[in-house]
Amino acid sequence: MNTVIDAHNISKVYNPKTIPVYAVNNVHLHLERGEFTALVGPSGSGKTTLLNMIGGLDKPDEGNIYINGLDITKLSPNQLIDFRLKNIGFVFQSFNLIPVLTAKENVEFIMQLQKKNKEEREMRVQTLFKEIGLEDKLNERPSKLSGGQQQRVAVARALASKPQFVLADEPTANLDSTSASNLLDIMAKLNKEENITFLFSTHDQRVIDRARRVVTLVDGRIVKDTATVSTKHEDEGILK
Amino acid sequence: MLSIAIGLFAGIAVLALYKGMMKSRVRTAIDAEVGHLQLHDRNFKKDYSPEFVITNGDKILNLITSLPEIKMAAPRSITNGMLATATGSAGVQINGVFPDLEYEASQLKKKIIEGNEFDSTKKNEIMIGKKLATKMKLKTGSKLVLTFTDTSGNMVAGAFRVAAVYQSDNGPLDERNVYVTLNDLNDLLNTGNAFHEIVVLLKNDEDIKIVQQKLKQVCPLLTIETWKEISPETDLLVNTTNQYSYIIMIIIMFALAFGIINTMLMAILERTREIGMMVALGTNKLKIFLLVLLETFFLTLAGTPIGILTGWLLTRYYNIHGLNLSGMGREMMSSFGFNAMIYPEFPADKLTGVLLIVIVTALLSCLFPAIKALKMQPVEALRR
Repeated sequence: MNTVIDAHNISKVYNPKTIPVYAVNNVHLHLERGEFTALVGPSGSGKTTLLNMIGGLDKPDEGNIYINGLDITKLSPNQLIDFRLKNIGFVFQSFNLIPVLTAKENVEFIMQLQKKNKEEREMRVQTLFKEIGLEDKLNERPSKLSGGQQQRVAVARALASKPQFVLADEPTANLDSTSASNLLDIMAKLNKEENITFLFSTHDQRVIDRARRVVTLVDGRIVKDTATVSTKHEDEGILK
Repeated sequence: MLSIAIGLFAGIAVLALYKGMMKSRVRTAIDAEVGHLQLHDRNFKKDYSPEFVITNGDKILNLITSLPEIKMAAPRSITNGMLATATGSAGVQINGVFPDLEYEASQLKKKIIEGNEFDSTKKNEIMIGKKLATKMKLKTGSKLVLTFTDTSGNMVAGAFRVAAVYQSDNGPLDERNVYVTLNDLNDLLNTGNAFHEIVVLLKNDEDIKIVQQKLKQVCPLLTIETWKEISPETDLLVNTTNQYSYIIMIIIMFALAFGIINTMLMAILERTREIGMMVALGTNKLKIFLLVLLETFFLTLAGTPIGILTGWLLTRYYNIHGLNLSGMGREMMSSFGFNAMIYPEFPADKLTGVLLIVIVTALLSCLFPAIKALKMQPVEALRR
């Protein structure tokens, strides 16, 4: 296995000059390729802040984050944009699909930014939509899709660029149990079959149950980091 | 899009109104006041001395009317004098005219609002403007006395009876000009059949310079002036109004700019999450900037035909039916020489300029929203 994410003693502090509040406090996190990790903790524990920093959306006040050996804290904003495009897939809590584009166009959008040719885009879209089981919804706009379907499209979009890893911020928070379960099945399958690294922030016990590793944050600090295997799904042969 | 359309529509409407007003003013100046060209003895206009008649006037008049570009030419005897009544007096320019020719040359007959045209069987009839009639408390049938100097410098006077009161689109001219028959005036001036002025109307406005050159060659001893030289204030008005219309256009565009800024800012604020997500996924700043720029450009592109079409439709309607501005005051309009009925004309000649101003305004206006979008931090944007 090789290291994808290596966060070294990172801290993020708000109001440093008045009443400092540590959103993330001296966190060290190491993720190998192919991990399926859940970042858990109560609200305000720093899960999203940590994800944002690993995703290059926010900068730590202290520490360094290495992605495949590259310290992203040293990159300029423009370099970070380019880095995100090539290396990271994002899944947001509220889907964040572009409403005026169809499901297919939303997924193609990333590949267009990457200047992939039409043929390549077309092939990837077909593959991804098959994976997420929405081959018949290619030309539907997000407003015509259910929450679960929208989030599946968001996963397809996150994977379209063939990223090093996918960061998902509360991906099941707005989904019903069936949709959440379907989504988790898809992500687990992609993780297993394509060896894509997933890091979630979540409150959802269903996600925690399916994760192989659970990192617990409290008040910006990692209080527990344990590799767990969901026996339920292990039995079903999904994760192993 | 709507603000672009409204801005363009307002710009076109203003330009069309100005164009219509100016065209109407120029037409009035040519058709009802000074004609296309006027011929005088070189010394006549120095102090309007009656002895400076056009030598060989009849011959010249025949020569002028034989030119193919000429629609008509009318002679006038002119002198300045005093109009007196029992209650007061006023300085006037007395125009001695051949009624039939003058009715065509300055549309005098059409301007009559009270009384009748000259009666060839009667002597010493006079037509006065409404403004003068009001000032001097005159009406049709009233008697008045005109006093002026004849060719020998002797004071002469004649009693005239008001045959008609006329009203043109030019109040100040109505107050100053009175019309009598050329024969009646010449009898008093002692100028026989001579006259001081030939007013020329052309078939086409564009021929004015050519005809002026031709006449200068055949009548080298006469002053031959175009309407722009005779009425420089009209020419000045047309030119300055042209410039003013662009200034007004720019003011409208300034208002439009705020509309665009507002629209684009709203569009960006409404889509904060979307833009934040795009940046998070890897859309670079140049692409975000181009996105706002292109969006504005397409909105402009969509709004432009709507603005032009509505502007054209409104202009077309009023071009046919006329826009009656008498509500604003016919007196006020006529004091500037304008007809109260304006026929706005679609400013096709200025359309390119207007479009350019609109596009530049739109693109400049979207810079602020675009910069705002660029400054957006994805983390902040996604939180909203």
